[in-house]
Amino acid sequence: MSSPRDIPTSYRFSLGALVVAVAVTVVAGLAFHALEQRDVVVGDGARRTTLSAYSPGLTGTHGDTDVYVLEGTQPGGTMLVIGGVHANEPAGTLAAVLLVETARVRAGRLFVIPRANASAATHVESSEGFPTSFDLTTASGTTRSFRFGGRLTNPVHQWPDPEVYTHYPSGQLQSDFDVRNLDRAFPGRPDGVLTERIAYGITQLILRERVELTVDLHEARPMNPIVNCVIFHERAQEIATMASIDLEAEGVKLRLEPSPKNLHGMSHRELGDHTETSALLLETANPIMDRLHGKTSARLILDGKDEFFRQAARAGLLYVPYGADGLPMEERVGRHVAALMAFNRLFGELHPGRAVTLDGVPDYAALKRDGVGRFLKDSAK
Amino acid sequence: MIIVCYRLLCGVMAGLALWSLFSAGKRAEKAVAAMILVPLVLRALLVK
Repeated sequence: MSSPRDIPTSYRFSLGALVVAVAVTVVAGLAFHALEQRDVVVGDGARRTTLSAYSPGLTGTHGDTDVYVLEGTQPGGTMLVIGGVHANEPAGTLAAVLLVETARVRAGRLFVIPRANASAATHVESSEGFPTSFDLTTASGTTRSFRFGGRLTNPVHQWPDPEVYTHYPSGQLQSDFDVRNLDRAFPGRPDGVLTERIAYGITQLILRERVELTVDLHEARPMNPIVNCVIFHERAQEIATMASIDLEAEGVKLRLEPSPKNLHGMSHRELGDHTETSALLLETANPIMDRLHGKTSARLILDGKDEFFRQAARAGLLYVPYGADGLPMEERVGRHVAALMAFNRLFGELHPGRAVTLDGVPDYAALKRDGVGRFLKDSAK
Repeated sequence: MIIVCYRLLCGVMAGLALWSLFSAGKRAEKAVAAMILVPLVLRALLVK
């Protein structure tokens, strides 16, 4: 029988390298799977279901995601709020999480999907040095950690990309990588690629639950003209216009952008065309997404402060006001919450009895004053 | 079918990495071979 001393030195090194490789792989694997953990604390009166209930093709995949349902005791309308279609646009996800954790629905039903593309939240775009998470502090002083992800479905979960992406059902040809872009996949199909199955699930949810108002929460680059705006399907034009006027009184300037009819796959176009819902999409400004930023860090996600953007603002290159305060998260989440509450209120004015009656959600001024974390629940609860 | 092909390809590459790991060679090459081998085998086993 041989002892370890009989093993040649080169073999001993090989075995050692193998052990180190296993250790590194396990640590990396655990860190990767930590990205898939839930970061929503279910509020009072909210129940959780999954998107696979509407798109069985998502069962057991990384495309399946949580859907939160907040239901009132009185009849009313049905609204859907979608966050995280692009996982690198965190104000949308945070606004959706804030709704789940604070809203008390009195009449009607509110559906919330904080991470529409759960797969996209499991990775970040390469070569940018993006952080994978950022932290907020709650009222009791505990820390809540939220994932920062990528724009597209993780290629580990959907691969390979075609040479050219053909949108279904329009047949429009688009860029290859957009095959993993959820906001180019609507209305989706049950047997398509993963991203199309996610889109199909959201479309089916709207059809089956008879969702009357759908608000999709996004962020955009400050140097992109389509920013600090609402993009509306023609059925939602009146709501968007009236909301833009109402929000001016709160200090929120909201540009109006009609949904282009000849660009397919986006939620505001396809959900409006393939369902009866009034579809709107909101954009706030997020500097970390743009090309001009300096160091990418969790701090930049949260305060949006960057000297390069100040210079760009002075040179008139930005499409949003930008000062010494940057573009903080509380401002961006506050804009989302203020706008979607205005849409809901105005939908009720146009269609009496069809609004969702809810309270408990902090308003724009409170969010700007106290920050987002102040209103979130503690993780341990 | 694509999964079977993927696993076959992983098997061939893992075989080459294993050969590099235990054949005579530089330590740096062995370390790289180990770092390639382990994730490759895990991925081939876990792919759905």
